[in-house]
Amino acid sequence: MIIGKAISPFGIKRRNGTANDADAQAFITASGISGTEATAINTLVVNLKSANIWTKMKCIYPFVGNTASMQKWNLKDARDLDAAYRLVFSGGGTFSANGYQPNGTNAYANTFLTPSTAYSVASSGHMSYYSRTDSNGANEREIGSLTGTVYSDLALRYSNTVHMRWGETSAPITAASANSIGFYVGSRTTSNTLKIFKNGTQILISGNLAAGLPSVPFFIGCLNLSNSPSFYSAKQCAFASIGDGLSDAEALAFYNAVQTFNTTLSRQV
Amino acid sequence: MITLKDIKQAQWDLYVGLLTIEQKDSLLIQWYAPDCYFNPIQDLNDNWVISVEEMANCVNEEFIWVKDLPLIIYEPKPTPPPFN
Repeated sequence: MIIGKAISPFGIKRRNGTANDADAQAFITASGISGTEATAINTLVVNLKSANIWTKMKCIYPFVGNTASMQKWNLKDARDLDAAYRLVFSGGGTFSANGYQPNGTNAYANTFLTPSTAYSVASSGHMSYYSRTDSNGANEREIGSLTGTVYSDLALRYSNTVHMRWGETSAPITAASANSIGFYVGSRTTSNTLKIFKNGTQILISGNLAAGLPSVPFFIGCLNLSNSPSFYSAKQCAFASIGDGLSDAEALAFYNAVQTFNTTLSRQV
Repeated sequence: MITLKDIKQAQWDLYVGLLTIEQKDSLLIQWYAPDCYFNPIQDLNDNWVISVEEMANCVNEEFIWVKDLPLIIYEPKPTPPPFN
């Protein structure tokens, strides 16, 4: 009788004999990436878990590979389902080893993550966007879910301004933005505390109140204004995420993990 | 008439492909490449247009005719402030 080897639940083993993290391996298998990209993904997952950030993420888009079919996957849930917040791309975006390049005209990605159903409270949330482009169009926004009354959006640089709102009902608190290259994390940690960090350093604090949660899904590369894509961005995205609010220390650890990831892929800024 | 063949890639962001109403309707909820969908929009003059990237990267045989669309200079429609 021939007795076969047991099949590892972690799938493919790395050359040094250590199995990839199971969540990383699910993403690697779904996206079809290999080599340095696969190694970078595994290290990213390990680092996020080590920093206790992983559980605060609802969706993570590493934008690896060079096609829409490779870049659409959510690292947190690598199933090809709207319910897994897998991206669907529309318009003229392009895909390369440097990430997802929206064209600033009509390109965006639907996350299918609707704040009013994915969150139970408005007092904790974050959005992140790793921009490899410095652009300053008056009508550029990078991530957004807005109805006529409740607004959650992240804008890295438009008319020399940066802002983020999370569940707000009024005009945003803004700060000057002279350059939009870097990793931006906007995080709300209480009903009246919201901060934006660029490369781990705080650049804005807002006391605007969180009053509710929008009922339309987040789009990346533009705003979703009541189910209408608007305010298209031209900023190339090498990483994006949406999840729970992050503390100052967590935002810094997040930056370090993502910067290590993009440095491994030789696309860091 | 300018078409895709007449411009360089560096000029793609200057132009868009001009659609008729019937063509626009036919592209709704249709893919042009795996996991990528057309997104017709209206320009400043209410023309229906798609991006040059959608035209150039279209591999869906049913809509391969988009590669021959006439190109016009893109003039974006002014967008009101998003609730601020």
